[in-house]
Amino acid sequence: MSAALSRGLCRALTRQAAPSSLLLGGHGRAAPGPWFAAVMTLKTSAPLRAEPKKKKKVDPRRDHMLKERMKKKLKKMEKVAPEFIPLEDLITPTKCLDETRERIAPRLSFGESEGRALLLKEWCRYKQEQHMAEVQAVELALEAQREALEELKLESEELYLAALKPDPLLFPFTREGPAYTPPKSKYEAPDGKYIDITKVYTQ
Amino acid sequence: MANRSLLQFLSCFSRTAVGNAGLRPFSSTAVCRATFQNRNVVERAHSPWTLMAAVCLQRLPVISADCSPIEQQFRQMMHQMEREKSLLSDHELQLLEDAERMSRKQADDYDSEGEDDHGDQEIGLRHASVADADQDLTSSERCLADSLVLLAEQQVGGEPVWLLPQARWQEGETLRQTAERALASLPAAAGLKATFLGNAPCGVYKFKLPQAARTESTVGTKVFFFKAVLSDGGPPAGPGGPLLWAKRDELRRYLKPAYMMKVDRVVLGL
Repeated sequence: MSAALSRGLCRALTRQAAPSSLLLGGHGRAAPGPWFAAVMTLKTSAPLRAEPKKKKKVDPRRDHMLKERMKKKLKKMEKVAPEFIPLEDLITPTKCLDETRERIAPRLSFGESEGRALLLKEWCRYKQEQHMAEVQAVELALEAQREALEELKLESEELYLAALKPDPLLFPFTREGPAYTPPKSKYEAPDGKYIDITKVYTQ
Repeated sequence: MANRSLLQFLSCFSRTAVGNAGLRPFSSTAVCRATFQNRNVVERAHSPWTLMAAVCLQRLPVISADCSPIEQQFRQMMHQMEREKSLLSDHELQLLEDAERMSRKQADDYDSEGEDDHGDQEIGLRHASVADADQDLTSSERCLADSLVLLAEQQVGGEPVWLLPQARWQEGETLRQTAERALASLPAAAGLKATFLGNAPCGVYKFKLPQAARTESTVGTKVFFFKAVLSDGGPPAGPGGPLLWAKRDELRRYLKPAYMMKVDRVVLGL
């Protein structure tokens, strides 16, 4: 269609060009002027046709880049650091911060404060003796075992090696410690449900 | 004696094999090993000590012990100090409010509040230690607050002696198996279940026979102690059995002094 248009325009321009040459006088050239050639090639030159093609190449690339950037930003926004699980033991309940609950510290007499200080020192001494006794008992027991193993070695090598082998059946070893009251013999524990109400936090 | 023969053997070997300098070290070590093994077997067969294994079975405490006087004093003092540093509880606040209300009403006779120290008293059903049960030496339920050791009366050299249950070592078993056998072979200890703590002995007692009884092969006995913890009491032992459950202080009354010294270290006084 553009070719047809250009041909139509050319004819119109030649018709118009002829009288202009007559007007010019002497020359009388039938060939079209320099501006005509430029106009002729206006609609058919390569740059005019190629511009929309350049746009097509760049636009999808640009769009793609924009989309990727938006996606990355969204991902960064979503990467929130996980909330810390609250330590319920370390949170002071508001009941304890009440000022009306403060107890008036009593005035201690000199005798009583001295008595307390002396009792603390006695306790320190008592605990130290207990600890030293424990340490010594353990040392004596180790010494006794060392002697026993030496004597056994003098006796026979096989028994000594058998004694040194670890016992695989001993561990895991558990034993309940002493309670406040002795266990009842023939005690039948009542049946019951156990509902666990511990708070479970998920990060 | 054996050393001298070994040296002679080696010297004659070195004199004859002068040419084989390279082979000599290798073969001499092989010879050494053979002689060592022979020596070991020879020594074991001629060892003058008879081996026995004994079991030191302990019943650990079931109840926590009572506090000593200083511990009781300290405990009271700590209670007081912590009470002084604490905040008022809900109950105490309620009491204060009630007191204020009463004083505002201006009532003439209002009762003084109850004592604050009721909370410090321990409400508990403490096991009333029955003195009679403590005296029964054959029961493993006596003295629940202390650890007890099992003693048996066995014949040693024709005389009955109180000692830890022991048995003689036999070929083909380890000493720990001997100790287990010693515990199982006690007549009144049918239901006792014990956990042996490891394969190694925890103490030894050497006993030299008097000069008259010594022969070439036996000079004395070595008794190795193995530690065990009572895991299940089982049915109560029948009366009259030669068994005893003794506290650490009471061991002195039953065991011989030299034996007692060795056992004392094994039975920790903790």
